[in-house]
Amino acid sequence: MMVSANRFRSIGWIALLLVCAALVMVLAFRVNALRSQVHRTELQIVALRKEKLYLETEVETRANQQQLKLWNDVEFGYVAPTAGQYLSNERQLAAFAKPDSPDTPAPIRVASADDSVAAEAAFPSVISGLAAEIAAPITRSADDEGNAKPAAKPADAADRAKATANLGARLAMVTPLKKDGKDSGGKAKTDKDEKAKDGDKKAGLAKSAKTAKEEAAKPGKGAKLAAGKTETKPGKAPAAKSAKSTKPAAKSAMGGSKSAQ
Amino acid sequence: MNSLTASAAIATGRVQLANVRHTALNTARVRALWIMVLFIFATLTACVRIAQLGLFEQTPERTSLAEALLPSRGEITDRNGIALARAFASYSLWFNPKAMGEGGAPLVKTPEEVARALVGIFPDADYADLVARLKAGKPCYLRRRVLPEDANKVFALGEPALEFPREEQRFYPQGSLAAHVLGFVDEAGKGHVGMEEVLEPRLLDPAHRGTPTALSIDARAQGALEDELGRGMLETSAKGAAGVILDADSGEVIALASLPSFNPNRSDLAFNYLVTNRVSNDVYELGSTFKPITIAAAIDAGVVTDFSTRYPAVPLQIGKFTIHDSHDFGASLNVPEALIHSSNVVTAQIADKLGPAALRRTMMQLGMNERPKIELPARGRPLWPRGGGQSADSDWARLTTMTVSYGHGIAVTPLHLASAYAALVNGGIWRPATLYKVDPAHLAQGRRVFQASTSARIRQLLRMIVVDGTGRKADAPGFRVGGKTGSAEKPGSGGYRKTSLIATFAAAFPMDKPRYVVIVMLDEPQATQQTSGQRTAAWNAAPIVGRLVPRIGPMLGVVPDAHHDVDISDLSPLVGSGEGE
Repeated sequence: MMVSANRFRSIGWIALLLVCAALVMVLAFRVNALRSQVHRTELQIVALRKEKLYLETEVETRANQQQLKLWNDVEFGYVAPTAGQYLSNERQLAAFAKPDSPDTPAPIRVASADDSVAAEAAFPSVISGLAAEIAAPITRSADDEGNAKPAAKPADAADRAKATANLGARLAMVTPLKKDGKDSGGKAKTDKDEKAKDGDKKAGLAKSAKTAKEEAAKPGKGAKLAAGKTETKPGKAPAAKSAKSTKPAAKSAMGGSKSAQ
Repeated sequence: MNSLTASAAIATGRVQLANVRHTALNTARVRALWIMVLFIFATLTACVRIAQLGLFEQTPERTSLAEALLPSRGEITDRNGIALARAFASYSLWFNPKAMGEGGAPLVKTPEEVARALVGIFPDADYADLVARLKAGKPCYLRRRVLPEDANKVFALGEPALEFPREEQRFYPQGSLAAHVLGFVDEAGKGHVGMEEVLEPRLLDPAHRGTPTALSIDARAQGALEDELGRGMLETSAKGAAGVILDADSGEVIALASLPSFNPNRSDLAFNYLVTNRVSNDVYELGSTFKPITIAAAIDAGVVTDFSTRYPAVPLQIGKFTIHDSHDFGASLNVPEALIHSSNVVTAQIADKLGPAALRRTMMQLGMNERPKIELPARGRPLWPRGGGQSADSDWARLTTMTVSYGHGIAVTPLHLASAYAALVNGGIWRPATLYKVDPAHLAQGRRVFQASTSARIRQLLRMIVVDGTGRKADAPGFRVGGKTGSAEKPGSGGYRKTSLIATFAAAFPMDKPRYVVIVMLDEPQATQQTSGQRTAAWNAAPIVGRLVPRIGPMLGVVPDAHHDVDISDLSPLVGSGEGE
């Protein structure tokens, strides 16, 4: 019995060893199969990249500078943009506005711009030199109460640079109008005449610059000019402060829309 | 005994039988063993082979992805990453006479018919040469580079002997664009002429050739420059044209063109006179474009302090030689007027006051006495005037100083002039020109040639030449171009030839803060209807700059602005109206 038990045990061990060996073998085969699959994929990648390079080169060859020039001469006739097609700042844009005639309706002021965009607009850069001087001591005194911070000038310069950088984006911005808004924006929407709206927008640009200056002249409010464009939602913290300075502008907008009707 | 004997005999027989049986058994066992050994061997062999296939298959032939994608020669791009030269597996046309088996005709149709069809597909092919090659019956290339669509057309001819092996070759997607900058690669794979030759070790180095090498060239500006130069050349029936656009601050060459050009894709045709680079290799007397350099040296040295001082403008007799102007500009001119009207007489007088030593030193500081500083292998040695004394370092004679002041008696390459103008307008720092893209934080070491205040004055004067003077046709609206014309007669046998000119316009823009220097040069322009019957730079080279700057300005980051300009209000009252060279 003892002999047979020992024998069984050794057979068991051998069997286990064989099973393990077989499993290792299977694993090794699978690993290798995967490896060759990877290799095949790599070959495919190489082939595709070469094909891509080939196509890229063909496109580049067909669209080389000389070819583009020929097409332009024959088909498109594009010419380089002239100086008149570039705007470097808001002032140049505002210069396109026509002066108000006596029967011009007051501009529609839409108070529904996105907060972040309006904050980026950095309107203080439009403040004239005189207004900025008036506004500066106020900012400074406000700062003195808390920690003495460096003068607002560098920040203003940074704002200006930022404002210039995203001028294109802001010019292309479409201000959404709300249908059932309780604010002035909602009332402005009642004006459905598209042409009148466009005209008002143009006039509005000139006027907004004007009002910006007037506002800047008022002590304490110069720095909050962005509010003229900002929607004042009660829930939003950054806009809440500027709500006061928005009111006159919003009123004029309401008046404007009425007179347009 | 007998029975014993008999039993013994039986016993012996049994033993023998047992022996036989035993032997037979043994033999059987041995055979079985052998068979078993064979089976085991076969099984083991099979197992080993399975294991070998399973575990080690493909290992020896494995190559990494990066290696497989490594080009045979590195790519060259422009500053914005547009490929200018790349290794590319393109089709070639190979004639294999044995494609249809040994014996019999190699072609289905006659060689004449096939050659005619091939000329129909490739109009520049030589019919007689093709016929000769097809008839010879030896395998050879019929054409080195074939476009895929042309390959399809050849395939449609139905000739099995015409094969299209794909071979890695050097390909220039932009064609002849920047040919003189790039150069070409011959059939043996060796670079010639341009950056292909200079960059050869890097382009072939396995460690580097995987990453493209960026040049300072801007392909769009290069295209515009070549286009406008070509147009100017056609309009004036000039022999050749050269142009260079240089970054005024960093010395980077944004575009460099020499016309007529060659096609680097046809390296078999590239070895001819067209590979000579007029910008960096040929030297010319560049004439009046040197006047601003003389005036700048004089301002720097304190010789010119008052711009309202008037100098006599009547022909100047120096020994047997008379210096005179192209027109009569009246009795006297001040410095701005002298530049605006391009007066040789006044410039010569100022140079005379400045003295040979100072002018010579300035010219040397601007690198006019040595080959131009650029990476290209072909760089021309200037014709530097010899000193008046015996030694090479002695100062120039008085007359030499005067002629050099207005660009005669000294011959340099247009690239010399471009680097000098960059120093004139960028605040006075001369930097070597380079074809490598430069990081603005690591500019090459420059040397101060002019004071910053002198440079500011020159900017005003150059702008005035374009606003009021000979460079009016270069005035691109809003780009604040400033520059100087130069029309120098070419020397021939028996003195200067009146009708063979080198017309140059050296410009920079925008003048309120110069970013780029543009040099345009025409070799022997003719008087044509387009140039109003004139031969001088004001009528042929200046308009090229006037058309070129609006095309390249916005692409190079110069926004045209009609409201900005360099302030010339302090100098403009000093200038009367008149016409110059």
